[in-house]
Amino acid sequence: MSTLKRRVSELSEIEPETLSKRKFNDSREENDKIEEQHSESEGSDDENNYDDGKPHSGPTAANTAAQDIQIVRETAELFKSNIFKLQIDELLQQVKLKDSHILKVEKFLHMLHDMINEVPEWEEKSLAEADAFFKGKIVTIPFVDPKPDFAHTNYKVDYKTPDISLIGSFALKAGIHQPSGSTIDVLLTMPAKLFEKKDFLNFRCLHKRSVYLAYLTHYLTILIKKKNLDDFLQLEYSYLNGDRLLPILKLYCKPSHSEATKSEYNFYKTKFSINLIIGFPYKIFDPKKLLPNRNCIRVAQEGKDVPLPATPLYNFAVLSSTTYEAFLKFLYKTKKQTESFKEAAKLGRLWLQQRGFSSDVAHSGGLGGFGTFEFMVLMSALLNGGGINGNKILLHGFSSYQLFKGIIKILATTDFCSTGHLEFHSDTSSPSKYFEEGFQTPTLYDKTTKVNILSKMSISSYEMLKMYAQETLLMLNNVVQDQFSNVFLTNINKINNIKYDFIYDIHLPATGKGDPESLLNSRFGPMEKIKFITLENFFVNKIANVVKFALGDRVKYFEVELIGRKNTFPITKRKVYSNFSSHLNLESVKIKILNNPSESEKLVTKGPIHSEEPSPEAVAFKTFWGSKSSLRRFKDGSISHCCVWTTSFSEPIISAILDYSLKKHISEQLSIENGTTRYFQDLLPLPNLPGCSKTSVLSLTSYYSIKKSFDDLYRLIFETELPLSVKSILPVGTAFRYTSLCQPVPFAYSDPDFFQEVILEFETSPKWPDEITSLEKSKAALLLKIQAELDSKYGDKYKTFFTRDESIPNNLEITLLNILTPEGYGFKIRVLTERDEILYLRAISNARDELKPELERTFLKFTAKYLASIRHTRTIENISHFYQFYSPVVRLFKKWLDAHLLLGHLNDELVELLAMKPFANYAPYAIPGSVENGFLKILQFISGWNWKDEPLILDLTRPDDFTSTDGESELDAKTMKKLSEGLSLSQYKGIQSNFRSLRNGDPNGLHLQFFVASKNDPSGILYSSGIPLPIATRLTALAKVALNLIKTHGVNKQTIDLLFTPALKDYDFVVTLKTPVPLKSSSGIIKQSEFKNLANGQLLSGFPADISQMMDKMDPTFHLVKYLNLKYRNTIIFSSHRYIGVSGGDRGDKNVVTGLIKPLFKKDQKFRVNMDCNVEPVDDQIVKLNKDAIFHEIAAFARDLVVKFESE
Amino acid sequence: MVDKPVAIETMKNGFLVVPFKLPQSAVLKSSHTGFHYTFVKKHQSKLETEQNSLFIVNIPLLTHLDNVKNVFNKICSQSDTVSHIEDLMYNDEFGLQEVDLSALTSDLMSPEKASEVRYTPRNTALLKFLDKASLDNCWDALRKYTADSRDSLIEWEYQSPTVATFINFYKPIDVEHLKEDIYTHMKIFQQREQESKEAAQSSIVDEDGFTLVVGHNTKSLNSIRKKILNKNPLSKHENKQAPPSAVDKKVKKDFYRFQIRERKKLEINQLLTKFKEDQEQIKVMKAKRKFNPYT
Repeated sequence: MSTLKRRVSELSEIEPETLSKRKFNDSREENDKIEEQHSESEGSDDENNYDDGKPHSGPTAANTAAQDIQIVRETAELFKSNIFKLQIDELLQQVKLKDSHILKVEKFLHMLHDMINEVPEWEEKSLAEADAFFKGKIVTIPFVDPKPDFAHTNYKVDYKTPDISLIGSFALKAGIHQPSGSTIDVLLTMPAKLFEKKDFLNFRCLHKRSVYLAYLTHYLTILIKKKNLDDFLQLEYSYLNGDRLLPILKLYCKPSHSEATKSEYNFYKTKFSINLIIGFPYKIFDPKKLLPNRNCIRVAQEGKDVPLPATPLYNFAVLSSTTYEAFLKFLYKTKKQTESFKEAAKLGRLWLQQRGFSSDVAHSGGLGGFGTFEFMVLMSALLNGGGINGNKILLHGFSSYQLFKGIIKILATTDFCSTGHLEFHSDTSSPSKYFEEGFQTPTLYDKTTKVNILSKMSISSYEMLKMYAQETLLMLNNVVQDQFSNVFLTNINKINNIKYDFIYDIHLPATGKGDPESLLNSRFGPMEKIKFITLENFFVNKIANVVKFALGDRVKYFEVELIGRKNTFPITKRKVYSNFSSHLNLESVKIKILNNPSESEKLVTKGPIHSEEPSPEAVAFKTFWGSKSSLRRFKDGSISHCCVWTTSFSEPIISAILDYSLKKHISEQLSIENGTTRYFQDLLPLPNLPGCSKTSVLSLTSYYSIKKSFDDLYRLIFETELPLSVKSILPVGTAFRYTSLCQPVPFAYSDPDFFQEVILEFETSPKWPDEITSLEKSKAALLLKIQAELDSKYGDKYKTFFTRDESIPNNLEITLLNILTPEGYGFKIRVLTERDEILYLRAISNARDELKPELERTFLKFTAKYLASIRHTRTIENISHFYQFYSPVVRLFKKWLDAHLLLGHLNDELVELLAMKPFANYAPYAIPGSVENGFLKILQFISGWNWKDEPLILDLTRPDDFTSTDGESELDAKTMKKLSEGLSLSQYKGIQSNFRSLRNGDPNGLHLQFFVASKNDPSGILYSSGIPLPIATRLTALAKVALNLIKTHGVNKQTIDLLFTPALKDYDFVVTLKTPVPLKSSSGIIKQSEFKNLANGQLLSGFPADISQMMDKMDPTFHLVKYLNLKYRNTIIFSSHRYIGVSGGDRGDKNVVTGLIKPLFKKDQKFRVNMDCNVEPVDDQIVKLNKDAIFHEIAAFARDLVVKFESE
Repeated sequence: MVDKPVAIETMKNGFLVVPFKLPQSAVLKSSHTGFHYTFVKKHQSKLETEQNSLFIVNIPLLTHLDNVKNVFNKICSQSDTVSHIEDLMYNDEFGLQEVDLSALTSDLMSPEKASEVRYTPRNTALLKFLDKASLDNCWDALRKYTADSRDSLIEWEYQSPTVATFINFYKPIDVEHLKEDIYTHMKIFQQREQESKEAAQSSIVDEDGFTLVVGHNTKSLNSIRKKILNKNPLSKHENKQAPPSAVDKKVKKDFYRFQIRERKKLEINQLLTKFKEDQEQIKVMKAKRKFNPYT
């Protein structure tokens, strides 16, 4: 095995010429020689081989230790950390190409080489003659558009034996294993004598190549048949990198019958495919004439004095066809000088792939123009300089990690588009240099060949690349958390709705009209044709321009993707023919958007300032927006052109803007669909507030109202005279951190969150009783004082009453002061003293052992409710201002949990922390910018969270804005600043060790599943202890099912509905309840349709005069389930909807109670006195669960509410 | 369909199996007819308060003294005897009294010591009779009932809470009642506190005439904190590190050459162990297929 390995590594040592024609044949022999040499030198090699995990066979132990130390020190310096290096090694090992596969395909390549050489040469032919030659043959000439006019062309076409060489990653040995298979690029360079000096003009060289390719294909099919390879070998035309000007021949093996698989040339299993690329000889045309700003397609035009537009895409296609080999040599040379070149290239390839980048032309949509080739060229350019003075950015001795990071850093921090560009010399005659002059197109310019390597990128794909590089740089600089898998292992392209915030599908009308211009509002004339080459490119460009202008900074990034664009076609066809439309090679268009939440919902699109003499900007603005554009005076007195939009609860403003602008500028007839956003946003409970259906989903106004009401009350309480003065009054309710499932609505007291919790602390006093009941009574006495004061002074406005609180188990003495404010909100005040904690702790130490866990649970509840809630509320409130979509996302997540009957088992705080994961630890994705995106990311996280082995450690700080900084020091200062706010390394390590020691005692997580820690709670168990194991696993299972559903069926109305439908069949029994009073409208929830009908007459308007009447509109099922859980806590887990106003049907009067019998009690058991279980005897020792009796008990217990009882 | 209860009269450990017929329920299917089984045994205890009692296991939902009396009287009347039930003790169906926080935090308010509080396991209770005769009568009647009255089984009548019961949990507390409750409670508390203070002062005077004024639940917060903070379940899984003592802080760490040498050695060793650990970790991760970029 290791011989093989070495041989492969040795293959790369072959000089570049080896890859060309002469040595192509005998490389096999060389391989054999190398093999021999290396089997001899193997023994000595092994000692240096430190990282393959084998035991060291070094001469002495001391020696090994010294060596180890050396290695350890080196890796710590060269790599981010030891573990990072080990991870990289392991990863590269994983993606290595199989040696047997390489041998197999090489065998075929040799044969192919011979075959190509066997193709007979041809005589000079005119195009018409050539065309006649292919009449009646299988193969068709793949002429590029426009097809040449045979009558008016007088140049000759011909076939002479090409110069064959291997190019691309396979030749450089930088290829990696890919599940879908890899491609091997074989370059066939047409001999120079086939060309004339002016052939670069008007598609001439391209047509010559098309004929050349067809002739070669024709003879290859004959030869393949002759050699009986046609059983498994498949030939197909394709476009190199999706460029319609570059037809190539693609060879691959199709699955075939057993006879054919035996052939030694069948490389089907290796999944390789081979591209035969036809190139032009290097420097055959004057490169200066093919610069991006030159015109090389001469078309007739009316006005002679207008210069023809430049043809950059065409020029690039011609020029790059002459430089394949030149760049191979350049890369090869750099690779020889740089030890870790190959590894860095592989890392780069993985990084790009996981983010969806490729070498494909981005001008026809997608994230293209930057693949491994471009990555390697950039790396080589940076190894040869790259600074402003030509100073080297990367050094040849760098490790793979350093090279990779260096490139990411350049991509992240340096602009290659609008304010600068990089020049390099592929003959390495002089160093690469960065110039602070931008061409408004991504530029990495080779002075030697005059090729701009980044020609295939569009501006939007470049911006996206830059964004990912910036995110990755942050990850690589993150010394606290291990980001390896986020950088390299996670493929973020899997679900579009998770990668992007909004996705819009644009469907063009199906037409048979035959005229592409009837589809579009604009002309696709000869000038556009030569500039954009294809209608698709033109179309993408047009859409991109409209979207960019229309949305401006409302979105951060966007990508236009053509769906159903075909890239291959049979050799019997001239070009790709689409199934969908006669003109466009596409089915539909997707606009994928990364939202900018801080700008996306602003009502006004502000244009240029109005002036007497209309400025060109103003004219452009007016023409673009048409009737939408209007003049407005702003607060500062300026008058500007602008467009005004209206917000809506169901749709973002972006939808309206796109609909308007695309219809206006692309085509009236197109339809823009977004099948998801509306459905997700409509799932959020709509608050019964004035104008609610026109309120943006991001609006927090309803929360600000309750805060305002609290502030007034706060002042009053502080002013009251009390025996002990008030130290602090801190709100801890969910509404104060914008996470309550229902938005606060005045007088909506059926909402379980109506009474928002507040914690009141008095000044410290030694007089608090040292006994818990008396302590609670003295607290109540002080609350009575407050109540008396409020009543006497403000009794006309504020209403007060006392209730018992059961939120702390085993403490039944807690009394809360409830206050109803004149604005219609409710608060309940609990008192915290410095003595509480001590008493609860003392109870733990005094209790007998079997009660200790119960008392610990009590203590945790107390801590969560009284102490940690203050920190939690403050933190979440603070950072949700930076994560604008957090509030609606967490509310939707709560709704999902409640729909699945899980919310009642989980603490609000835990739910909120889980929902924070995609925001605070967002890598490698972007911070969620839409409700659906955030919600799906939560599900994705939970579905993949292996809580047995992984803690969730949240860095609850605001997101760091990546502003490109020039100096290293500034970035470091930023990092340091960030570190001081967020989790420090030692805190992080501390939390990790807490997790490890927790799992030492509970390796399978039977007692505690979700370890969720943050700076606020390093223990990680505060909110998640006491969740029954079946509930935790059910949450994971439900998320998994949800994600699978989305993966297989996509996100649409049906799947979204399914996502929110509880699977009641999974439970042992289901009891359907109906409350006597519907609670929906009194929970402050209204339906979109109801709203339209009822206008404002239905707003809730007051509290009942007799406060005790309020209780009639509160949920009786909550206490029912609570007591059922208490009664049967040993045997059955009961679940139900917590928010029946939301989940309880159209009127909010339905609830279900489901029971899950614990597995232990599904079996027969020995009779014990303390078994705490309703049983019936089986014999005189064995008993079993008496389900019938239990069902009767439940039915009796819920008698007045139950409507249906289902069980197996 | 079950028409007859299981034909087991006594469990091996001496419990009588007492079946009751389940009532008809409007929402349950008829296939769900069955029986409730209560297990009864004579209770043996030296305690005065627990004499003449039956130990009952698996009591039906929401049982209280009145319906127990009712049902047991019926059983007795089947054998033409009478027995007088005095109390149903320790029945804590929802486990609300399982933990007496007050007693666990202080011994002021609870007369007995926490360790001496009597209780029975969940889903069990003691049924106390007026006298021995009542107990024996009832026991005999029960035996007879379980043995041969298979046909004349008594139907258990469940107590059903109404919607109002559940809604009442939301009900405001009557303020006057609350005031009264607080007043009486605090009065007792202060009185007890005073008593215990006096008791402590009078009782513990050591040889030198110093008086110990604090009980075992010390009142000063700081002194208690140290003692019980290690009970905090939140820090249970934390790795505790002893803070450096005052002596350690002052010592110079780079005074002797050997100290520097030792430190370097230590650092390198740490680096090495870290490396080895990392390698191990990678192995574990590899075994878990953590390095596949294509999953």
